[in-house]
Order: sequence, then C-alpha cells, then structure tokens
Amino acid sequence: MSNSSSMPAQAKSLKHAGEDIWKNRTEKVNAELFTLTYGAIVSQLCTDYERNFQKVNEQLYSMGYNIGVRLIEDFLARTALPRCENMVSTSEVVSKCAFKIFLNITPQITNWSHEKDAFSLILVENPLSDFVELPMDAMKQLWYSNILCGVLRGALEMVQLDCDVWFISDVLRGDPQTELRIKLNKVLKDEIPIGED
Amino acid sequence: MAIYSFWIFDKHCNCLFNREWTLAANSSSGTVNSKQNEETAKLLYGMIFSLRSITLKLSQSPPANEIRSISTGKYRVHTHCTASGMWFILTTDFKQQSYGQVLQYIYSHIYVKYITHNLLAPFDLAENPSETRGQGTRKINNRHFIAALESFLAPMIMQ
Repeated sequence: MSNSSSMPAQAKSLKHAGEDIWKNRTEKVNAELFTLTYGAIVSQLCTDYERNFQKVNEQLYSMGYNIGVRLIEDFLARTALPRCENMVSTSEVVSKCAFKIFLNITPQITNWSHEKDAFSLILVENPLSDFVELPMDAMKQLWYSNILCGVLRGALEMVQLDCDVWFISDVLRGDPQTELRIKLNKVLKDEIPIGED
Repeated sequence: MAIYSFWIFDKHCNCLFNREWTLAANSSSGTVNSKQNEETAKLLYGMIFSLRSITLKLSQSPPANEIRSISTGKYRVHTHCTASGMWFILTTDFKQQSYGQVLQYIYSHIYVKYITHNLLAPFDLAENPSETRGQGTRKINNRHFIAALESFLAPMIMQ
C-alpha cells in the first residue's frame, strides 16, 4: 500500500483523539447499571421467544441495527472524522475511537483477510457480559452480545460501507477468546439528484 | 456579522430544513420550511454538489477534501458535510471568515440532540425510494429542534 508509512502516525492520533473524547467530553454512567440493563433485555427476550435462541440472536441484532443507525451521528458529531478511505483505517477508527468512546475498551484488530476487506476484533474485556454465565441450553446457540454486531452493521451502513458482522467465538460459550468478524461486502454509492447522471 | 439563511440536506439529496431571515432587526422574521424555497434549495444543492466534486478531483492526497465556504459578490456560503452525508449550510455576509464551529455546534448539540436522539421519530425522512435522489419533500418540524436553533442563531442575525 502506498501510504503504509503514514499509517502508524495516523493510528496514534486516532488513539489520542479517542482517549481525549472519552476523558473530557463523555458523560460517564455506572458500568454495572449498563451491564445489568443489557442483561435484563436479553433475559426478557429469552422468555418472550420461549428460549428459541436463534430468534433472540436475530432480535438483538435488529435492536443493535436500530441503535447503530443513530449512534453513528452521535459518533460523527463527537469526533468530526471524515470518511475512511479503506478498511484498514475503518478498523482503526472502530477499535480506537468508537469502542473507546462508547464502551471504554480497545479491541485488538487481527486476522486480516488477504484482500484486506475483512478483519476480526478480539474483545479482551466485554462490558456487556460481565457477571454472565450462560445456562446449559443457551451455551450452543445464544450469542449473548449480538447487539454489538447489529450496532456495527447499522453504523457502517450509514457511512456507505455495506458490511456483514458476526461473532466467531465467545468466552461465554467456552471459547478461548471473544472474536467478532467484520467483512466488507461493498462500498455503497452516494446518491445523486435525479437528472444529474 | 449577519446571517441570511440556514439549510439542512440529507444523503438522499433532499432539503430537510430551511430557514430564511428577511429583516436583520427582527430575529423572528422570515420563513421556516417554506415551499417557495424548494427551487432555491435545489439550486443551492446543485452548486455545492458540483463544487464538491471539483474539490475532490483536485485534491492530490486521498483523505477527503471538503469545501468549507464559497464566496460570491454578495454573500458567503458556509458548508459542513458529515461522513453520514448530512450537509449543514449557512449563508452569511462577509464580516466573519469562518462559521465552521457554529455549524459543528448545530450538528452536535442541536441536530443530534433533538433529531437523532428522538427515538420515536424516524431516523431517515425518506420513507420509500420515490423520496430519494432529491425528490422528497418531508421537512423537520420538531418544535424543540426549531426552538433551540432559533435561540442559538438569533444573536448572529443582527447586523
């Protein structure tokens, strides 16, 4: 890549910007309240869908999507970042700015696909699933933090990146780490007024 | 300093909001979301759209090169474009060089607060494909939004 030499400096400033916004310009709430609120939502969904965990996953995803399409405006208003030119810079922004500002975590970016259009985020700590232990029947099917996938999908779609986002593994299911995969399908075209083309 | 009008466009090329002040002495004069401004909105959008594509072509390095302002003989147009495709536009006289911070404030403290965080209202005003590509006519009529915007911009209208 032509601009690979400038990447570290850029990544550093993103990290700095993320930390600055988190420290100085973000109202804080009690993390336990947040964790417990999310837990209440998931457990209510499990009851409502009679422990059909496939449905619960879908519902969490669509709730996340509806959050993501709005959260992106909040994010852009705080950071005033321009569009990313490629998925490498997108991954930096997601990990160092977005996760930092909204959840105060910085997931590791790994497992780049050969074409640089897919990557994984390793969530070393996940505030959504503190104190959680999945019951036996949910172990195999429930993606407890699936709302995150929806949020990422919705938010990225609003900046014209059509992506698939899904969990590959989760420590709650007994996996060694929590891995979230983001794959770019295509960059959506900006609309132009009728008669301009 | 004096401001003449304020506009919001969305990523569907639709004008979501327009506010025009006619008397500098009276901050409540003028029109809000006037039908008569539809044509002006299209022309304004077209002007910025064209200049944006030129600036993107002329910039050498890949990071986005956005226009900040356009000056004409009579007035100046200030633009603030977001990565999500929203355009915030202010037309003013020449007394002040930059309204970047004003527009950024409107976006982050008024638009996001009253429109984006208003969860029961649709996040996208274009409800179907026939309202995209500049053909939609829906407007922002949120009372809190309009009141906050008016009170924020009122001190800048006076000459």
